[in-house]
Formats: sequence, structure tokens, C-alpha cells
Amino acid sequence: MLDVIDRELLKGVADLEGIPKGAYNIRKNGKLLARQVSANILIETNEDNTGINIIIKPGTVNESVHIPVILSQADLFDVVKNSFVIGEACDVTIVAGCGIHCGSDKPEGHAGIHEFKIGKSSKVKYVEKHLGVGPGSGKRTLNPVTRVFLEERAHAEMELTQIGGVDNAQRTNEADLGPGSSVLITERVMTDGVQRAVSKNTILLKGEGSRAELISRSVIRGDSRQDFYAVLEARARSYGHLECDAIVMDNGTNETVPSLRSLHPDAELTHEAAIGKIANSQLMKLMSLGLTYDEAVDRIIRGFLR
Amino acid sequence: MLEIKDLYFSVDEQDAQSVIHTRTIVKGVSFTFKKGKFYAITGPNGSGKTTIAKLIMGINPITSGSVLLEGRDITSLGVTERARAGIAYSFQNPARFKGLTFRDMLSISAGTTDESELVKVLIRVGICSLDFLDKEVGHALSGGEIKKIELATTIARNPKVAIYDEPDTGIDLWTIGPMIELLKRERDENGATTIVVSHNEKFLQAAEEILLIRDGQIMHVGDLSSTTPLLQDLDFCNWKTICEGEAYARCHR
Ligand SMILES: Nc1ncnc2c1ncn2[C@@H]1O[C@H](COP(=O)(O)OP(=O)(O)OP(=O)(O)O)[C@@H](O)[C@H]1O
Ligand SMILES: [Mg+2]
Repeated sequence: MLDVIDRELLKGVADLEGIPKGAYNIRKNGKLLARQVSANILIETNEDNTGINIIIKPGTVNESVHIPVILSQADLFDVVKNSFVIGEACDVTIVAGCGIHCGSDKPEGHAGIHEFKIGKSSKVKYVEKHLGVGPGSGKRTLNPVTRVFLEERAHAEMELTQIGGVDNAQRTNEADLGPGSSVLITERVMTDGVQRAVSKNTILLKGEGSRAELISRSVIRGDSRQDFYAVLEARARSYGHLECDAIVMDNGTNETVPSLRSLHPDAELTHEAAIGKIANSQLMKLMSLGLTYDEAVDRIIRGFLR
Repeated sequence: MLEIKDLYFSVDEQDAQSVIHTRTIVKGVSFTFKKGKFYAITGPNGSGKTTIAKLIMGINPITSGSVLLEGRDITSLGVTERARAGIAYSFQNPARFKGLTFRDMLSISAGTTDESELVKVLIRVGICSLDFLDKEVGHALSGGEIKKIELATTIARNPKVAIYDEPDTGIDLWTIGPMIELLKRERDENGATTIVVSHNEKFLQAAEEILLIRDGQIMHVGDLSSTTPLLQDLDFCNWKTICEGEAYARCHR
């Protein structure tokens, strides 16, 4: 059922050696390839057949859902709309991701629109990896949208990664926080050649005592370009922090625009932003431990994107 | 054995009128560091101590002169090759990294990720906490912590020549004694030629020979008793224990 290319893509985006344990939904070239539900996790195709609904029963703990998407068909632009409804008092891990294998000069693309409603006091860890591989010159486009709504005291940790091989990406992340809820979003993007990636982020701190942290790490190689926009808006007594860091190599270009908007006197919002080359002192330190220049660059980049 | 011969280091500087001037920072330094001996390099701030250390490690490009390690001319080698040839340098201001832990640094340095090997290094340098291994070598580390990591990564290389640039910065007073013992032990057990750049009298006492640097040149070579009067003559006060006596009351100002 899974061929070698499928396996390579699944390994890259979901760390899967084959079919995962627990609940899963694997989509290949715009169609369902395999699905498994569990006693607590329901997966169904949505009404207008544009994606899936994942419904997690209240009180579900220590369970995971894998929903990878793999693409290896030329000239296909696959759009899916997935919706997650997570009940109260859950503790679950959701692994998503999209791998594109491009074998021809025809373009391929995917837009995954993921919406999460996280119930009271639930904890969700969401891991999403995007990867492009294959020898073809066709343009690979990935435009993910991630929207998360957190109810009272809910907590979400979102790890969003674009590892490489994606020519064009328009990334959108939105979070809406209820009272006492918290979110940690980490986005890591590496581009090379003439690739282009734009990330737009909006975080609304609506609930009293909510907390949000957004960390962005960009590595911009070759002639690629990455732009990062983030708006952190507080409408209640809350705390928010933006950290945007970009390493520029070769002739990469970058625009980083962090923006803080406080609509409540007790909001505490901070940001740090830095764009620059790899520090010479870091290279010298690793080279003085016996690494070559290229090995030192590689270690610094891998650490930075970890 | 490490020999430096007639080392010069110059940089081009622009003045307010955009005129370029050549400034010579290291001015003809020659010395032979013998195998397994303990040396201290001292001298006023800005006299060129760190620059000399970086010329030896290959971090600063040598303007003229030569460096020989065990008789082999390594002047044309870069940092990586000099490290592999057996020179190690502990930075005065160590670099901080995002996402690299002490374990990563130590693994690179020791050339192994095997935890039992890394633990051996920790025991050797007297770091008792295993948790410390997974600390990020980032901005959250204290000044003393990062200097301990710097020292450990230098020792883990088992170098033939180890240069420690002000290893006591930020280190609590009661750790300095054990640190000196550690460096002496490394010298005795591994025959490491040990060079410590320091303003601290304890290191100067421990050294078999002290090189006093002033204005990019070696002003004096000798033991503590022959060096102390010269330190007091120099009009600066880096040597707290020496200068803060009644004899040098104006340093208290
Ligand atoms: N690459 C460089 N370019 C320009 N100036 C330099 C460079 N490296 C060192 N200098 C200058 O050379 C002088 C000597 O610096 P160095 O760091 O070697 O002093 P030091 O003796 O180690 O001082 P300290 O005791 O403060 O550590 C200083 O004035 C410094 O600003
Ligand atoms: Mg110095």
C-alpha cells in the first residue's frame, strides 16, 4: 500500500516508519489512503467533502493522532480543511505534516487549513512538518493555515516546521486565547535557492490571565527570501512575548515586523527581534574544537532550528 | 613545545577624516613555551594578551612572524588544523549559542557522544551535576557557568598546548584554588603546555614563568618575585591583591 516515496515522505514529515499506532488518517494525492479511529478519537470526512473532522472525547489522555498528507502527483493542488474538536480535560498529541515529492517539471501544492477548538483544561501538542523532496523542477507550494481557539485554562504547544525543499509558502497562524489559557508557538523555516516564505501570525489575548509566546527561527540561504509578520494583541490582563530570530546566509533577504497592541492597562507585551549572519565568534569557537568551517555552520544551523 | 617567532599583528583603522592608519597591536613577540610547563601571561588591559593568544590559535591572521608546534611550522594553518594539531584556546569572552547544549559542545570537543566518556570529562574538570550537560550554552548562563563550560571544552581536547584566557572571570573565589590544581594536574598527567592569561595573583604564583606584556611586547619574563615590582611600577591596578595594599592606596579611589 505504501511505496518507497510514500515511506520517505512519511518518515520526513511524521517520523513514521510505516503505518502509525493509534488513530490516523493518511491522505495521498488528494484522496484518503488509510484511516484508523480509536475508542476516544473519531475521524470522519466532513459534510462538503473538503477534509476531515477529528473529534476527541473529553478526558482522553496520552493518545495521539497522525494525519499526514503526501503528494507525488504532478499538477495537483490539494486543498484540505481539517477541523479538530478537543473535549475538556484531554492530553493529546497531534502530528500533521505535508510531504511533497516532485518528480517532474509540473507544479504541485497543498494548502492545509487546520482549525482547533481546545476544550477547558485540555492540553494539546501539535507538531506539523512541511517538506519538499524529489528531483523534479516543478514548483512546490505549501500554504498552511493554523487556527487555534483555546477555552478556559487550555494549553497548546504548536511546533510548526518547514524543513526544506518548499519553493513557495504562505503561512498563516492564528490563536485566540480564553481566560487562563496559554499557547507556545514555535515556527522554524529554512529556505534556500530562490525559495520564498511568508509567515503571518495573529495572536489575540482575550481572556484574563492568558499567556502567549511565539518563537520564530528562520534560516535564509542562497538567494531566498523570508518575511515574518506577527501581531500580538491583548484585550485583557495577560502576558505575551514575541521572539523572532533570522540567520541570513549568502544573499538571503528578510523582513521581520513584530507588532504589539495593548488594549488593556494590565497587559504585559514584549518582543525581541534579530536578523544577522552567523556570529564569527560562534564559528571560531567550534572551529577551535576541531570542526571545519562547513561543519561549524551546519552545527550552528541545526542547533538554531532545533 | 610551542615556539613563536617575531610575531606581528596590525590592523587598519579609519580616523574621523576617513584616513586609514595602520595600527600595530603585537610588535615582535618571540618566546618558546616548553612542553609540560605552566606559564602565565599578564599585563595591563589592552596590552595585547588576548591578541597574542588568538595569533597562536590562528583566530587572528598573523601579519608577520611564525608559529612552530613541536618544530613543525604551523603558521599557514587555519584554526581547525591548529586545533587538530593539538592547540586549544579557552576564550576570554566565550560565544553563546541558541540550541546548542553543553553536551553538544563537549561531544564536539571530545569527539564522542558516548555519555560515559563525557562523564569522565566532567569528573576530570570537577563538574558534579549531570543536569548541567543539557543546559543550553545560551544567554541564560551566568558568567561563571559559561567560563566553566569553556574550560571543560578545552580540557576535553587533551591538547598539547592549552591557552586559558582569564579563566577566573566570574568564578567564585573558592573555586580558583581547585581550578589551579586542575590545570596543574592536566599538565602533570598529560604533559600539556599550559598558558594562562590572568591578572590574578594566584595564577601568577602557580606559574613557573610569567610573561609580562606591555604595549604589544614582552616587557619581562620571570617568576612572581621578579615580576611583582614591575607590576607595581606600571600605573594601573589589575592586581587587586598586590595593589590594594597600603603601599598603593591611590588604587582605592
Ligand atoms: N581585530 C582587531 N581590530 C582592531 N583592534 C583590535 C583587534 N584586536 C584587538 N584590538 C585592539 O588591540 C588592543 C589589545 O587587545 P587585547 O584584547 O589583546 O588586550 P588584552 O591584553 O587581552 O586586554 P584585557 O586585559 O582587557 O583582556 C586593544 O586596544 C584592542 O582594542
Ligand atoms: Mg584579553
